[in-house]
Amino acid sequence: MTANTVHDRLALARTTLTPTQVISVLLAVAALGFTLVLLQDPTAHEAMHNFRHAAGVVCH
Amino acid sequence: MIAAYVVNGVKAGLVAGVVFGLLVALVANPLVAFAEERAQVEHEGATADGHDHGSGDLEGHDHAGGDAGGHDHASGGLPAIVSNGVSVLSGVLWGVFLGVAGFGIAFYVLEPIVPGSGSVRSYVFGGAGFLTASVAPWFVFPPAPPGVVRSLDPNTATLLYCGAVAAGAVASVAGMYAHDRLRDARGRLTAGVGAVLPWALFVAGAVAVAGVPTVPVPGGMSATLATGLAGLVVFGQALTWLVLAGAHARFHDSSGASAGPTDTGTVAGSTADDVPAGSP
Repeated sequence: MTANTVHDRLALARTTLTPTQVISVLLAVAALGFTLVLLQDPTAHEAMHNFRHAAGVVCH
Repeated sequence: MIAAYVVNGVKAGLVAGVVFGLLVALVANPLVAFAEERAQVEHEGATADGHDHGSGDLEGHDHAGGDAGGHDHASGGLPAIVSNGVSVLSGVLWGVFLGVAGFGIAFYVLEPIVPGSGSVRSYVFGGAGFLTASVAPWFVFPPAPPGVVRSLDPNTATLLYCGAVAAGAVASVAGMYAHDRLRDARGRLTAGVGAVLPWALFVAGAVAVAGVPTVPVPGGMSATLATGLAGLVVFGQALTWLVLAGAHARFHDSSGASAGPTDTGTVAGSTADDVPAGSP
């Protein structure tokens, strides 16, 4: 088996991925997470109210 | 290939998201609306009959203004069909989010130290994900039924929430690392103890700082309803992670072939866009 330590995995990611790929995936995930968990805008907050109660991420 | 991990994460996330979305649509939407109605009715009736749930109500009113109007959710500006629809969609996206962040990115990096082998790894990782993303913040903010208003302002609450998730992640990764290190040197039992020790410390620390988490009961709502709602939340998140892990176990090629450094584009079954242009 190859690439079998965490270190190998990170090294593999560094050599095979371009910074643009890494940044776009991380940004997409961050945007999704921010919208679902942290967005406090009253209208959005209100619309996702039931979801946040169901998922237990109520932050208000 | 690394992309395969992200794709598997998205696929598993979609499956889990649809399940969680259904739970939101069929159970949470009507139940939250019902609880909201109760909290509202009791809220209005409370002042008249002079019950002693005053403290909760008073705290409610010095709540930061950024959220003003947000407490009227059920009867507020948006029609129920919109907030119900957005909530269901959010439930699906929640699954995708957990799938990509957990099984797409974190699992790619951590797979070598996740205890177990084959599909067991997916379930162990799912359990760690549940502890990290859901249980850890619940030590600070236990699942709250509608009508409960926190005394913290949103920014502090957000920081605390993210801090709790980060601390949970540290505990989970530390447990995996300890297990990986101890398994060969000291045997399975020691490794198992090492795996749970960081989480035990986290729990002890969280209880020492924030106290034993208790489900807040808004003024007037019956404790049974509040506890039931919290139970639904815990059940929903545990179900989401279980489905995520199960779906991931099916999608993931646990032989490790897809993570090899030598297989970029040459492994059988890899997709066309992995193959370098011009290769035979």
